[in-house]
Amino acid sequence: MIRVIATRETIALFRTPLAWSLLAMAQFVLAYQFLAQIETYLHFADKLRAIPEAPGVTEVVVTPTIGVSALLMLFFIPVITMASLSGERRNGTLALLYSSPVTSFQIVAGKFIGIGALLAILWVIIALMPLTLMWGATLDVGLYLSGLLALFVLMSAYTAVGLMFSAIFAQPSVAAIMTFGLLSGLWLIDWATRLGQDAGLFSYLSSLNHFQRIAQGLLDTSDLAYFIIIIALALYVTTWRLDGDRKPL
Amino acid sequence: MLDAPLLLAHNLTRYYHGRRVLHGIDLELHRGEVLGFLGPNGAGKSTTMNILSGVLAPHEGSVSICGHDLSQQPLQAKRHIGYLPETPPLHLDATVDEYLLFCARLRGITSAAASAAVGDSKRECDLIAVGSRLIGNLSKGFRQRVGIAQALLHAPAVVILDEPTSGLDPNQIRSVRSTIKALTQRHAVILSTHVLSEAQALCSRVAILHHGHIAFNQRVDQAQHAMRIQLDGLSSDPDWSLIAGITSGESLGEGHYLLQVVDFDVAANSLTRQAVAQNWTLRELRRDTSPLEQVFVNLTCNDGADFA
Repeated sequence: MIRVIATRETIALFRTPLAWSLLAMAQFVLAYQFLAQIETYLHFADKLRAIPEAPGVTEVVVTPTIGVSALLMLFFIPVITMASLSGERRNGTLALLYSSPVTSFQIVAGKFIGIGALLAILWVIIALMPLTLMWGATLDVGLYLSGLLALFVLMSAYTAVGLMFSAIFAQPSVAAIMTFGLLSGLWLIDWATRLGQDAGLFSYLSSLNHFQRIAQGLLDTSDLAYFIIIIALALYVTTWRLDGDRKPL
Repeated sequence: MLDAPLLLAHNLTRYYHGRRVLHGIDLELHRGEVLGFLGPNGAGKSTTMNILSGVLAPHEGSVSICGHDLSQQPLQAKRHIGYLPETPPLHLDATVDEYLLFCARLRGITSAAASAAVGDSKRECDLIAVGSRLIGNLSKGFRQRVGIAQALLHAPAVVILDEPTSGLDPNQIRSVRSTIKALTQRHAVILSTHVLSEAQALCSRVAILHHGHIAFNQRVDQAQHAMRIQLDGLSSDPDWSLIAGITSGESLGEGHYLLQVVDFDVAANSLTRQAVAQNWTLRELRRDTSPLEQVFVNLTCNDGADFA
């Protein structure tokens, strides 16, 4: 049943120009960024060779590209998720799901996976670009894979948060703004710590910190747990909100 | 008597923002029955239908469909419900076939059986010719029929249709009505409508909802038995209940009477015999064609309420 809802969601996303234009724009921006990083690397290549323990091509080209991808997701994912439940609510098609023999969780999981399938395409595109470096350089496979893992959990968490706001608000644009607000807030929240203040909680809440640690290859379960908690919490609230539509408060 | 009811609703109560919109609704629906749901706007028709189909949960009361409680065993109960909400829940970006296939799978029909179910449902709703068209490009009448088709895919025991003919032109209304008429052979149907003649034409029973109460719930043929007559030569109003087939009578002035009858033919026979015997002049005798309207107006118009 989850698969039926997920398939429908992915197809519906590709029926609009939205998915295509986002994929195209993301590819364009990231390709430009990727080439610019290669350019930078080539410029400093000689100097870098002189330094022992110098950063390699993966650190100079791949990791920054994945960092920029993460930043792009901050803008793209709220737009992709904004209408997934609020649109159904507006069109009255939620009634179809509600009167069918499916649970709220199945609806939420279906939507999450359906949007995830579209984002997976974007993720694969991002993953393919660094492989082109293998023609002329040696890729640090560990760093490359941990970067992709960081991007994967980040995108999943963003999707879950977007879905949550799409369930809470009936207007897609409000859902997008709230998603963007919360996600950028979490991204930037540890700026307080950069002013030298002791901000343990802020620092823990910062998605940027956790993302960077995973992307740099410092695999720590607490960083992964941060994203998994966000996903679980957001999907739980989404399910609870859909249940709340039907159940009297 | 009849077998166990397919749908049994007991004491349905629902509040909106602290205001009580449904006051203990009780309903029963048996196989082969078509229940017409009438009422002014805001009477609670759509709320009731949403509750019966599991889209909303009541604050109090319970619904059971084919013996499954809708709140305790929602998945089992919903397998037996087909629902067309007031706004048909259509995917305008999909073709009719794609949409119906999705709905069939959503109702738990296996992918192997789904295309056969879609075919049957399209045939039942006369949609064969538009299977590959985008729903967004279809006329309102076709969209409404696609909406009905999605409610029938899984051959549910209970079909709930919220204003299936609203906003359609006369030809479309006729075709949707004939679709609904055909349904009654295989499903129990609840439909809401504003059109009283539609309820009379399609339904075996009519429930009138007013301010969240069921103000009237009777078989249509019982409600339909009324007779209008005009008599001259009466000295005083006779005791109508003494005449065979007539239950009561009401004087409308100048010799006009509205009579409630058990059986129209029996009543007409005994009345003409009585008129001859008593030397009354029978000037007019006809079936009252709009008793439902009369009932509706009497029940719902006295306070002119039209709640939003």
